[in-house]
Amino acid sequence: MTNKLEAERPLSPHLQIYRPMLTMMMSIAHRITGAGLAVGFALLTWWLVAISIGPNAYAYVQDFFGSLLGRALLFAFTWALIHHMLGGIRHLIWDTGAGLDKQTIEIFALATIIGSIVLTVLVWIIGYYAMGGL
Amino acid sequence: MVQFTLPKNSKITKGKEWNPPAVDAEPGRWREYRVYRYDPETADNPRVDTYWVDMNDCGPMVLDALLWIKNKIDPTLTFRRSCREGVCGSCSMNIDGTNTLACTMHAEEAKGAAIAIYPLPHMPVVKDLVPDMTRFYAQHREIEPWLKTDSPTPQKEWRQSHDDREKLDGLYECILCACCSTACPSYWWNGDRYLGPAILLQANRWVEDSRDERTGERLDDLEDPFRLYRCHTILNCTKACPKGLNPAASIASLKRKMVERS
Repeated sequence: MTNKLEAERPLSPHLQIYRPMLTMMMSIAHRITGAGLAVGFALLTWWLVAISIGPNAYAYVQDFFGSLLGRALLFAFTWALIHHMLGGIRHLIWDTGAGLDKQTIEIFALATIIGSIVLTVLVWIIGYYAMGGL
Repeated sequence: MVQFTLPKNSKITKGKEWNPPAVDAEPGRWREYRVYRYDPETADNPRVDTYWVDMNDCGPMVLDALLWIKNKIDPTLTFRRSCREGVCGSCSMNIDGTNTLACTMHAEEAKGAAIAIYPLPHMPVVKDLVPDMTRFYAQHREIEPWLKTDSPTPQKEWRQSHDDREKLDGLYECILCACCSTACPSYWWNGDRYLGPAILLQANRWVEDSRDERTGERLDDLEDPFRLYRCHTILNCTKACPKGLNPAASIASLKRKMVERS
């Protein structure tokens, strides 16, 4: 009887009802950007393969990366890379046992978000300047 | 395993509205509570009932409101409570989206206009707000939470310096309410093999204890991809702890000790 009841017990709600919190969202963002990097590096591989194939293939890939969609993908890739890197640094600091108090975890989360956006924009501004695209 | 939705028998249905206040009721006097209900004696799925609590007649804490509902409106409402001052850990539940103790949470702290109350997340529900804690307690048993020594037992107490005693601050205060463990997504998805923040904080409490002589053995028992290393520093535990403890820091400390000894 007891066993039957145990098997039938409902599972209490979890993700559905838990209030999303910044640190929790950062953890999810770290995973999503990590998965996004796989897509980003596939683009990079495509570019490298195109170089080795020859001028026509290379021109085709360059065209794609120059298009609005291509640039948007590369911009997202840059952000994912920087966000994931800053997140990784955050984890490295935590692994030393430091920065785990309640104030610092919030500061780290905010610093990662702001830092990743600022750095991404900066990389693109520098990139455009260097390539004379502006 | 990760599961984003609830099993069929756990889907929540719309419940009953018990005592809506009169249309001309004094504004702000009645506070709305939406409470998870599950009756194991029926075949019905869980539901969320709505109660209105007269704040002129009720104490300030969420536990006061639950008792007010049970005494004045619906005696079938079931929940655990005992000390009403945050030392027993019985009334842990999910209130207003986070896990905490009903007895130490002011109703005014709730962000929502209606205060939503659910049992501790991702647990088998016995009835209403009462989850089955069997596995949680079994996991506590597994880390052998008692002093283990090889030296002969002293005539009086096991002695400890003041500095060593201080290492237990922030650890001994844990009341095993399970707010942290059931706030942890890793524990939700892998609770059968991952020990979870509460039990790991307890494990750390014994690893840190200068009087304990089986530190190495304790660390050996935790050296496992799941038992300890399913912690991904999501930090819901530290944010949830109603005693202001830091299970994430305890877990980080355990991981560090693993590296230091190897």
